[in-house]
Amino acid sequence: METLILWVLVLVFGGLFAWQVATRVRLIRRAPGRLGVADAGAAAGRLLREVVFQSKVIAERPLVGLAHALVFWGFVAFAGYTSTEFLAGLGLVDLTGTAAFRFYSLALVPFAIAVLAGILVLLVRRVVFRPEALGKLSGESVVIGLFIAALMVTFLLDFRLAGESLGGRVNWWVHALVILVFLVLIPGSKHFHLLLSPITIALESPVLGEVRNLDFEKEEIGYETVAHLERKMVLDAFTCVECGRCQMNCPAYRTGKLLNPKKLILDNEDALLAGKLDAPLKSIYDENVLWQCTTCGACEAQCPVGIEHLPLIINARRGLVSNGEAPDALGAMYNNLERRGNIWGLPQDQRQKFVAASGLETFDASRHEYLMWLGCAGSYDADFQKSLRSLFDLLRRLEVTFGVLEKERCTGDPAKRTGNEYVYQELANANIEEFRAAGVRKILTSCPHCVKTLGPDYRLLGFEAEVVHSSVLLSRTLPGQLPASDTVVLHDPCYLARYAGHVDEPRDLLRRVGATVREPVRNRHNPFCCGAGGGLLFEEREEGQRISQTRFEQLQATGAPTIVTACPFCSIMLKGAQASSNATTQVVDITSYVDGRLKSTS
Amino acid sequence: MILAVAEQREGTLNRASWEAIAAAQRLAAQTGLGPVRIAIAGGEVAASAASLAEAECAEVVALEAAALGAYTADGFTAALARLLEAEAPAFALFAHTYQARDFVPKLAARLGWPLVTDVTGYGEPFEGRRTFTRLVFQGKLAADVVAEGDGPCLVTVQAGAFPADGVARGASPAPVRRVEATADSSAIRQKPEPPFQEAKQAVDLSQASRIVAVGRGIKEQSKLALVEELARALGAEIAASRPICDAGWLPLERQVGSSGQTVSPKLYLALGISGAIQHAVGMKGSRTIVAINKDAEAPIFELADYGIVGDLFEVVPELVKELGKSK
Repeated sequence: METLILWVLVLVFGGLFAWQVATRVRLIRRAPGRLGVADAGAAAGRLLREVVFQSKVIAERPLVGLAHALVFWGFVAFAGYTSTEFLAGLGLVDLTGTAAFRFYSLALVPFAIAVLAGILVLLVRRVVFRPEALGKLSGESVVIGLFIAALMVTFLLDFRLAGESLGGRVNWWVHALVILVFLVLIPGSKHFHLLLSPITIALESPVLGEVRNLDFEKEEIGYETVAHLERKMVLDAFTCVECGRCQMNCPAYRTGKLLNPKKLILDNEDALLAGKLDAPLKSIYDENVLWQCTTCGACEAQCPVGIEHLPLIINARRGLVSNGEAPDALGAMYNNLERRGNIWGLPQDQRQKFVAASGLETFDASRHEYLMWLGCAGSYDADFQKSLRSLFDLLRRLEVTFGVLEKERCTGDPAKRTGNEYVYQELANANIEEFRAAGVRKILTSCPHCVKTLGPDYRLLGFEAEVVHSSVLLSRTLPGQLPASDTVVLHDPCYLARYAGHVDEPRDLLRRVGATVREPVRNRHNPFCCGAGGGLLFEEREEGQRISQTRFEQLQATGAPTIVTACPFCSIMLKGAQASSNATTQVVDITSYVDGRLKSTS
Repeated sequence: MILAVAEQREGTLNRASWEAIAAAQRLAAQTGLGPVRIAIAGGEVAASAASLAEAECAEVVALEAAALGAYTADGFTAALARLLEAEAPAFALFAHTYQARDFVPKLAARLGWPLVTDVTGYGEPFEGRRTFTRLVFQGKLAADVVAEGDGPCLVTVQAGAFPADGVARGASPAPVRRVEATADSSAIRQKPEPPFQEAKQAVDLSQASRIVAVGRGIKEQSKLALVEELARALGAEIAASRPICDAGWLPLERQVGSSGQTVSPKLYLALGISGAIQHAVGMKGSRTIVAINKDAEAPIFELADYGIVGDLFEVVPELVKELGKSK
């Protein structure tokens, strides 16, 4: 009788589960694009670190992360137990009487206690503390928390109750029913991540912020409607666990703007499930949020379940740009890129003057190791040119050979990040042609945005070169060690630290010239953006507080008299914030700083 | 005969028309093809024609039709094509305005006449033929070009190339000949809407001939009075760099830079502005840049024609005093 009832229940609840999953699988399958693992080795590494060892879950929130890990490991440990019990209950195979099963059950006891402890921590956090990241209290997550607790309690009670007694049977049935109801709740809730997150983590691009090039031959123009979301993004929408790490690390959100990366993903989920496939993306998000993203990459880098926000935001921007709906300030910048090949629309002869005044040679592959890439800032920003002059002096002293191109055009970074793919590809292909003609193999630049674009982005266009940031090269080649006699705070540029992973090199370099390096909040691989990326350098006014102001205050709070950074755009933003706050804290580019220290002590 | 085609909107003459007339008069003097005639088209052009008649010319042709009341490319092309075929000038000159850019190429195609655009001057004759100077390669080179064929030719002249004050005035007003244009409004495909109005800005810095701009070197909002005093003495508009507008010390519409207005006054006086690139791109087109800054290393001095390294609180009062004396 019990077997029959269980069969009916398993079929009913299993059917409900399968029906919900099928709805979502259909939405994934009808989406364009395809799912594929780019690099199996990297994916296996991520699965081990991020799933098995829960690295991203624990890293940012150690206590909560550990509590989650205990629950997760418990779930994995219990998989065999639950399967065996159900197989027996359904009258298929009964292994519950074996010695091995009894031993397995006993071994599960510490896991059960760990899960109970973990879920208690999570429930208290959910119900009592309610951190901002979690948003409104959802009753369902509390129910599921209690379910998990109930499963553990019934498991433990089972040792105290005779299997065939009434109490024992009731206990068994409570356990089984909780599992079946839980199963039905999974697909419609954030708990779907139990099943999907290993898949999303495996499918995640190994390169942060990798956004596939548009194929103009196929008349691709980015995403306009919900139907354009690609498979991985639809999968992401169902996987989101709503932990809010993206939200709490987002510089736009943290400075009082409307953009909330978590909400973008959940808006996608709602629209997909509501069948609003033809709804324009701009109608399902709050207006303008797509233009508040600095593309700092914090959301994507911190996401524990492998969601990729940047391809979503950039593709949605592409859809807007294709329809002429970019903000005015970007229109002017695109015009500058198209007409003059630089973001500020300045004439090439200004770059020429700088090249001549600095005595730079034209790159010749037979004589020069590096192509020195000036970038827009290096070509036109008088302030950043000081830093480059220091770099040239240092390189000459270190006998590093380098030359520049006769003419340069922007790498296309601001066009790429703001979704003007056409201008990006025009610039990028023209640059690649010149690199090939000149036989360029190694590129040196002081701009981290150029590092990302010339490196990983141009690779997608078939150009492969070693792209080195000047601070990295100097840290490798500068000899000697000055005694510590100055204190600075380092602002990690997003495109150098988060994208390119260079966090130790600039610190080594600073220590080498006698600086004690203080650390601000949000540093190393997870810095807080200066506010310039993603085309926002050109933004007229910011909602809420300026991102640059917030970052400047974080850096200032370390008490270091000097802020060192390694990106021309961070320099512009932080110097602007410094001027606005009338602060005495100085902002200086790393190369200028290093050169100054060497000169003052020699 | 040389024809200058003037431009008006709702009865107001476009000032660039005088430059087209100056260009036509100069061409007439050089070629001996004078005297110049002037044409003006529109719904109601009597007032514009009367004012054009002050220029030294044989006559003013006022081409009127209700269908020309609002500008459309189809309407103007049709009306002017008919007029030009009837008048058969050797050259017809237009100012290189937005309107001319819009319909003159179409007009040239309709007539089958060559068109030389955005001309900045007249070059030496080449094999006995007129040459027109145009800038090419983003203004890097000036090319003297010859129109194809021996027939009449359309020319548009760049703003400022033939200054309006060079127009010769007649001793007495020239006669105005009114021509009823037979414009067929059903053949006009464009449906004009009310002219686009840019969001009204209280100040249009791009039109200012002198600007006193202030940066964070001013330190306190109360010190802005000093800057206002200098601006008054110079008859200049006040502008600012981003930190000043961010702080709300001056309204956002006074911000100059890549996220603000782009200005090109005759005089740009930068007070306590470091000259960061984001500001510089908004003002480097200024004719004369004067910078006052304490920091001799400030990038603004790379741009400035005249630089004073000093405390603006000392320099500005002296400047105001001197300007007061010279009045």
